[in-house]
Amino acid sequence: MKSKLNWIQVVLGCFFLFAVIGPLLTMFLTIDIPHLTAIFSNKAFKAATYNSVVYSGISAVLSIVLGGTAAWCLTRSRVKFKSFFILILTIPMLIPSISHGTGLVILLGANGILTNLLGLKLPLYGGLGIILGSIMYSLPVAFLMFYDILKYEDALPYDMAEILGVNKLRQFKDLTLPYLYKPLISIIFAIFTLIVTDYGVPLTIGGHVKTLPVMMYEDVIGLLDFVKGSVIGTFLLLPAVVAFVIDLLNKGNANASYVRTPFRLNKSFARECFSYLYLGLITIIVLLPLVTFAFLSFVKKYPMDLSFTTYHIHRLIEMEGLVYLGNSFIIAISVAVIGTLGAFVTAYLSARIQTKTSYFLHLMTITSLAIPGLVLGLSYVLFFNGTLIYGTLAMLILVNIVHFFASPYLIMYNTLNKVNRNLEDIGMILGISRFNLITHVIIPQVAPSLKEMAVYLFVNSMMTISAVSFLSNVATKPIALMITQFEAIMMLECTAVVSLIILGVNIVVRTIALRN
Amino acid sequence: MNDSQDILEIKNLFYSVEQKQILNDINFTVQNGEFLSILGPSGCGKTTILRLLIGLLQPDSGQIIKNGQDITFTHPSKRGMGIVFQNYALFENMTAFENIEYALKLNPKFKARSKDIVNELLIQMNLMEHADKKPVNLSGGQQQRVAIARTLAINPDIILFDEPMSALDVETRLVLRKELKDLQHKYKNTMIYITHDQEEAFAMSDRIMVMSEGKIHQIDTPENLITHPADDYVKQFVVHNLRVKMDSLLKHLGGMYEK
Repeated sequence: MKSKLNWIQVVLGCFFLFAVIGPLLTMFLTIDIPHLTAIFSNKAFKAATYNSVVYSGISAVLSIVLGGTAAWCLTRSRVKFKSFFILILTIPMLIPSISHGTGLVILLGANGILTNLLGLKLPLYGGLGIILGSIMYSLPVAFLMFYDILKYEDALPYDMAEILGVNKLRQFKDLTLPYLYKPLISIIFAIFTLIVTDYGVPLTIGGHVKTLPVMMYEDVIGLLDFVKGSVIGTFLLLPAVVAFVIDLLNKGNANASYVRTPFRLNKSFARECFSYLYLGLITIIVLLPLVTFAFLSFVKKYPMDLSFTTYHIHRLIEMEGLVYLGNSFIIAISVAVIGTLGAFVTAYLSARIQTKTSYFLHLMTITSLAIPGLVLGLSYVLFFNGTLIYGTLAMLILVNIVHFFASPYLIMYNTLNKVNRNLEDIGMILGISRFNLITHVIIPQVAPSLKEMAVYLFVNSMMTISAVSFLSNVATKPIALMITQFEAIMMLECTAVVSLIILGVNIVVRTIALRN
Repeated sequence: MNDSQDILEIKNLFYSVEQKQILNDINFTVQNGEFLSILGPSGCGKTTILRLLIGLLQPDSGQIIKNGQDITFTHPSKRGMGIVFQNYALFENMTAFENIEYALKLNPKFKARSKDIVNELLIQMNLMEHADKKPVNLSGGQQQRVAIARTLAINPDIILFDEPMSALDVETRLVLRKELKDLQHKYKNTMIYITHDQEEAFAMSDRIMVMSEGKIHQIDTPENLITHPADDYVKQFVVHNLRVKMDSLLKHLGGMYEK
């Protein structure tokens, strides 16, 4: 029995190898040395590399500081309404990155709401816009990563330090910093990679400042220059691979201790005041673009005519918006169902069947974490072009499953590792088949994680614009890509409607699925 | 030579993991209805023996014979044995009743009578009032009773216990020790009990098997272990440690009476 499962592990591992490494190899093989040297010596490429590194670096640092501070306020102060603040801070994760760019344009652009209201004259289009948009996009992720780390920190060393009379500064230097050291490295690389591989924000708000993903997007979509796209794609793999390896190395010691003493916080007027002010401010900043989407969707033409209209919704419908929304539903539901089932089976095999091939399967499964969506999309174009699946919704479903598979897999892998290790043994002794044990005992125990996985896959498939951008066509386009289309022809009201629809669908799905 | 009373005979059992020898030429017999404790420090191989007996592991070489039949490679569910793990491994999503009933419902042999069997066991184990509670709402002792009832339900000849009381408080342990012995008398099961606690082994066992580093030092009655320890290890690990505990206890008791 075990050897049969062993084989399934190997076959599944090889499938992921095929689904991720195969297309990537095809992409690498399209690159030749003359093109490579030509592109590397190209001024625009050098400028885009510089822009990408500098603006992503600045955005990542600011996002980490802002997100880290919010997480600190919610874990180390006695503020009330913590669940509310967490909910608001994570809402921006439900819309595409490109919406953050358009949100900023609506607020702070040449004719933006805040620009007109406050008389601001910000040089938004360019580096500043990229930085602000990237912060808006990555802040929720940075916040959540910090929140998880700070939430599970053990208070006991701090209690001991207090008893020994160690001052707060020394506590921060000798306890907090060493605790944060490894996770912080992972967070820095993860956030930097998230920003540096995104094309949505710089496309909308970068103006003449081009970044590598924008260059790649324009070269592939506009000029059909797949070789140049492949070179940039390979280049973009570097930070993602480094982030992946660092995270892998850091994880080894991450769960060293399961026993933790919770923090018992004394009242502090100054700390609580700061936390309320800070969280209030962040909440407003996060909510502002979302409110403007709602506002802009229903006014005739900002700022000239503010009368109520449903014209933009009709316009969207005229432009096949409902068809694209239908495509998005088909993709998101299929990815959620197939992805959740696949991630559960894979996680079960790697977490609960301890064989020599378990770790191989685990590694192969999480490899997709290292591949930016845009790069995966291009490699799929090159790999699947000319096949039956190419140009169909199935293609988009497959690429999204591979793109988003690792995170739900890891959720289930960690959950299954916490489920009693002796259950299968007891099942075997009592004559309960593995299938019965899984369906009647294990699945009911891990049901909350299954829901979380399905929601993650659904939400991300609804809002992604990365891997699908090169693979979709007029018939298969998901609704999120309409934002790119509307943005290109400056129909900001329609981009607001699409962003609002995606946000609404994702909020409803998340609320219904995770209401318990 | 096989005694007719022997329900289990272990012959020349060897087990290794990669290059490390975990069990080294293990030989012993267990008599029908006997309560045998396997006593030894952590890592001595006692849990490995249990997993080999139940069939969750397979030996490198050697034989496990039950009632004259070689069961070395028989499927765990066909060996007529049950096990109670240290962490009980209860089905968290099911009530106490459902935990006991689940395997019975799936077994054509017991299916028709499953509810009656469960009710009888719930009464026997003083669990009737907790029948509808899920494991999370049961105390450690109650969880252990459910785990034992679940094992008894399939009517095994031999029940194995893998340090089932190590996570319980002293008072509950003392109660459960007695209950376990009462159960054994009622159901006439053979019980093989793993522990690292000398006092527990001496309080419950007909015979004790003392182990260290994958080898058996002595299998004997508690009295004989004290009066005739086979070697220095048994003398130190069993006799000396028990004496230290007893001396300490007597000293405190003496103090109490002097007051």
